[in-house]
Amino acid sequence: MGGGTAVEWLAPSSLEEALALRAERGGDTTVVAGGSFLAILMNQGFVAPTSLLSLGKVQELRGIDVVDGELRLGAMVSHRAVERDPVIRRDWPVLSRAFGLVASPRVRNQATVGGVLADADYASDPPAVLCAVNARAVLRSPRGVRQVAIDELILGFYETCIAEDELLTEVRVPAALGPAVYRKFRSRSSEDRPCVAVAAARSAGRLRVVVGACAEVPQHYPDVCAEGADGPIDDAVAREIGAVYAKRMAPLSDSRGSAEYRRRVVAVEVRRAVEMVGADGAGNGAGREGAGGEE
Amino acid sequence: MGIDPRVAGAQRYSVDLERPGMLHAAFVRSPHPHARVLAVDASGVPSDCVTLLPDDVQDLHLYGCQVRDEPVLTPLARHAGDIVAAVAAPTAEAAKAAARLLDVRYEELPAVFDPVQAVSPGTPLIHPDGALSAGEAVSIGVRPLAGTNVCHRFRLVHGDLTAGFGEADVVVQQAFRTPGAAHAPMEPHAAVAEWEDGRLTIWTGTQTPFNLRGDLAVAFGLEEERVRIIAIPMGGSFGAKTFVRHEAPLAALARKAGRPVKVVLDRTEEFVTLNRHPSVIRVRLGAKRDGTLVAKELDCWVDTGAYADCGPGVATKLGYAGVGPYRIPHVRVDALAIYTNLPPNGAFRGYGAMQSIWASERTMDVLAERLEMSPLELRRKNLLRDGDVFATGEVMHDVQFERCLQAAADAVDYERDPRGKGLCVLLKGMQTPSRAAISVERAGVGYVIRSAACEMGQGVRRSLQLMGAQMLGCEPGQIDVPEPDTDTSPFDTRTTSSRSTHMMGRALEVAVRDLRASGGERGYGEVHNEGGLDPDTGQGVASTHWHQGAAAAHVTVDEETGKLTIEHLHGVAYAGRVVNREGAELQNEGSMIMGLGTALFEAIEFADGQVTNANLSDYNLPAIGDLPKRFTHELIEREGAEVHGLGETVLPPVPAAIGNALFSLGLELHELPMSAERVLAAVDARDARAAAADSAPEARVPVAVDGQGLSG
Amino acid sequence: MKLALELNGRPTELECEPDEMLLEVLRREGLGSVRATCGIGVCGACTVLVDGEPLSGCLTLAPKVEGREVTTVEGLAGADPVQRAFIEAHGFQCGWCTPGFVLTAKALLAENPQPSEAEIAEAFGGNLCRCGSYVKIVDAVRRAAGEPAGAR
Repeated sequence: MGGGTAVEWLAPSSLEEALALRAERGGDTTVVAGGSFLAILMNQGFVAPTSLLSLGKVQELRGIDVVDGELRLGAMVSHRAVERDPVIRRDWPVLSRAFGLVASPRVRNQATVGGVLADADYASDPPAVLCAVNARAVLRSPRGVRQVAIDELILGFYETCIAEDELLTEVRVPAALGPAVYRKFRSRSSEDRPCVAVAAARSAGRLRVVVGACAEVPQHYPDVCAEGADGPIDDAVAREIGAVYAKRMAPLSDSRGSAEYRRRVVAVEVRRAVEMVGADGAGNGAGREGAGGEE
Repeated sequence: MGIDPRVAGAQRYSVDLERPGMLHAAFVRSPHPHARVLAVDASGVPSDCVTLLPDDVQDLHLYGCQVRDEPVLTPLARHAGDIVAAVAAPTAEAAKAAARLLDVRYEELPAVFDPVQAVSPGTPLIHPDGALSAGEAVSIGVRPLAGTNVCHRFRLVHGDLTAGFGEADVVVQQAFRTPGAAHAPMEPHAAVAEWEDGRLTIWTGTQTPFNLRGDLAVAFGLEEERVRIIAIPMGGSFGAKTFVRHEAPLAALARKAGRPVKVVLDRTEEFVTLNRHPSVIRVRLGAKRDGTLVAKELDCWVDTGAYADCGPGVATKLGYAGVGPYRIPHVRVDALAIYTNLPPNGAFRGYGAMQSIWASERTMDVLAERLEMSPLELRRKNLLRDGDVFATGEVMHDVQFERCLQAAADAVDYERDPRGKGLCVLLKGMQTPSRAAISVERAGVGYVIRSAACEMGQGVRRSLQLMGAQMLGCEPGQIDVPEPDTDTSPFDTRTTSSRSTHMMGRALEVAVRDLRASGGERGYGEVHNEGGLDPDTGQGVASTHWHQGAAAAHVTVDEETGKLTIEHLHGVAYAGRVVNREGAELQNEGSMIMGLGTALFEAIEFADGQVTNANLSDYNLPAIGDLPKRFTHELIEREGAEVHGLGETVLPPVPAAIGNALFSLGLELHELPMSAERVLAAVDARDARAAAADSAPEARVPVAVDGQGLSG
Repeated sequence: MKLALELNGRPTELECEPDEMLLEVLRREGLGSVRATCGIGVCGACTVLVDGEPLSGCLTLAPKVEGREVTTVEGLAGADPVQRAFIEAHGFQCGWCTPGFVLTAKALLAENPQPSEAEIAEAFGGNLCRCGSYVKIVDAVRRAAGEPAGAR
């Protein structure tokens, strides 16, 4: 850093300009949203970008709006803003809670909704919860706009389907019609990243359970969740869903736990998450508890 | 007086040093855990850089504080991260970039990473030529075992072990393990080295300025007076900044460059610079049916890594601290400091005591269960009291173990309900022999106190001001305490072992008397503690006074995930007389918090000798949210008592107290840290035992597994 | 490139590279309270306030603070009630991490003048003190919030 050949700093002030620059430069410039993850990579010497495209001055990417009951989060909305926004706290409390559990206030002031998805770090909190609430990412380029579900967006370790001319500009979250929880299980320090993260949401009779931090991408098994489709979910169903998630998954091993340990915890934490969202009937709007949260 | 510079952000550390014309260094480190350096090609390095290559250090000597086994630049890398060359450049970034351009060719050699394996026959030797015993007056003679990787063997023999176990009605045996850990001071290692007229000056954050001076004098073949160490206040150390670390290659690089050179290690390098000794400790403990201890045997494998550093001293202290504060007529300790191809391990807050106290005090609860006796009662029955003879032959004095233990037990209401609760009581020595000297000078409005007591956050400056003010009858603020400088500060053994307030306080009394008696401008005081242990028998004087403490823990467990909650942790330290109350409280609190990290999640992870978690995200440090629900501690004081060191007394008992709390729930943990994963495995093991007992109710299922091997 | 900002209350123009972190730029300005430590934003020793909110100096690309207010502990001039509270509560040992804790406390109290214990713990989650001064740091925050000091 700071030496050798001059690095280019591109700071467009409108979305149109940003999209044009992105399309023009493609992979030759590195997009900077919050920049926290990029900075870690730069500090470790893993990357040394020659051109930086900062989205910091693009006002269109900073909105938090509700349109026809759908939440629209601009890509440059910080984690801290999701955590604090009164509308999100009221209507999508699980998002406030989950984003509020990320790292420290410093990181949450910096990290953005778009950035955390585009980084696709397996141990981040937001991807699993956004997947559970059925969010979609909006990808724009001069070619047009497309919307992709979170499990279509994230393809692998630090890998997404975002094309070289595209920017992730917005995240859209459907109206929350039922309870949702995010459980962040830390095996070590209270400040550690998750060993196992489970997000579960029930909306209009549908159950979505997503496990994060255990594999390359958030793990979601719709066929297993279908068991909890109608009526109250009893303990046996919750236990069964947990057991099947644990069995089907191929967890990774890292400093936070071995694969075998994670498998054990997945069974428990999925069961607990399902119990929490399953307790109140079909989940049609009742109980907006987004709480749950921690082990 | 202005605001404290630490709160104003104005405190400067060795990372802030600047010297005119200074260059910046980067070290070239071996990527292999054991490899011979075949060739170093520096032709790709820019011309404005200075390189330090093997040929440049031909005239330099091996150094080491207890065994002279460490080269300034190594021709034989003994751990991944060993320094094989160095580069100086106009900026730190340029130096790092240039270091990457140095092309080093290696021949890889077979390596060993486990201390038990390293002493088995046929293992590659890490220092095949053996090593000289240090000439320095350390507390122990070094006893290497020729033709092995053992750089020191400490034995303690007290009574007749065979006869002792013959008298025992119950014998329990268990092996325990502890991993390597990172001191992880917030401030990394940093220093500036500068030569002038053949004289070397180093500004560095160090706890051991005089040892550093002596060792560098050996390495560079200089008289000690040709080396000057200025000890800068440290941003934490905990043992990391002791003896010679980065200073030796830095000094050689500055010599070659003919200019001052500065180095600041990066966080990854910190993990290969100095760590805590991993250990395997096997305890065998025998008692009469009534709980009277009769025999104890300790076998300790202490992994000192690639270089001995103070490993012999750590093995010694670990060895005798493992006996515990008990009357035991028959004791044998065999502690080996063993070379492996891991980064060097050295002094770490507690100096080996934590490792053996963990093993030893866990075993006490295993024994209590076998005897169907309260762990508190078993301890009380056997604790050393005034006038008792310890296993080293020393007659105990000012003994407060029972008070410490009882205070810990009472804090968690142990006697009413011991479930989920655990205790630990400990004995720990202070560096012996040792010497401390200090001077006090009259200054304009007050006094100047000079000593080599180094400030690392423990508050030694403040303690000297407070003690000095009391003795001299002035305000603490009227006493100036300049940073240690081996040219002007009187000699001190080192700032370790929780000894500074105790030793310097005594020396200061002498100095103040001298100032008054002479009526002059300067008073000088010096105190010596004689002693030391015979390395072959463990007899002698381990410590001129004892650090005594205890801890109690109350835990609950999520038995589905193994996640622990510490409901209450209480630490007790015998303080004798308190000099600096807030400082003493901070030392207790800090020790316990570090103990929590040790107990619950701190471990350096290695894969084939490479550290795989060398950052502060994968290696967790305790944060504010990791404090137990209730976190309390106390200082036991006694009127007229001497000042007792407090810097590390309540770290060692924390893991054992938590381990024993788990044991009270039937959860047997033998290895640190007690991660959620290990606790869950202990839940499974307990449930399996219960199931086996249900299916064969007539069979006795021993809770303590006798004869558990080292794989346990 | 030129970087115009308000640094510790003064309009300032600095020179920086586009790929430089704010930490480096501030240290070059002599602001030694901002300390390189972990390099990955987990320890808080390089905390700065940007428009009153804490950020990691080691993770903030310098050009991102263009036009913003940046505060380091040097900008508090030593007379700050939070700093006084840290001194009264003895909420520090080696002092390396202390500026980060002081700034984090300032941001917390600005937003939440009477934080609960849980809120204090949450706010300081990303500030590590290896000396383990946490108990007295919590006391310091309570003092700064005008509460009597109390044992945890």
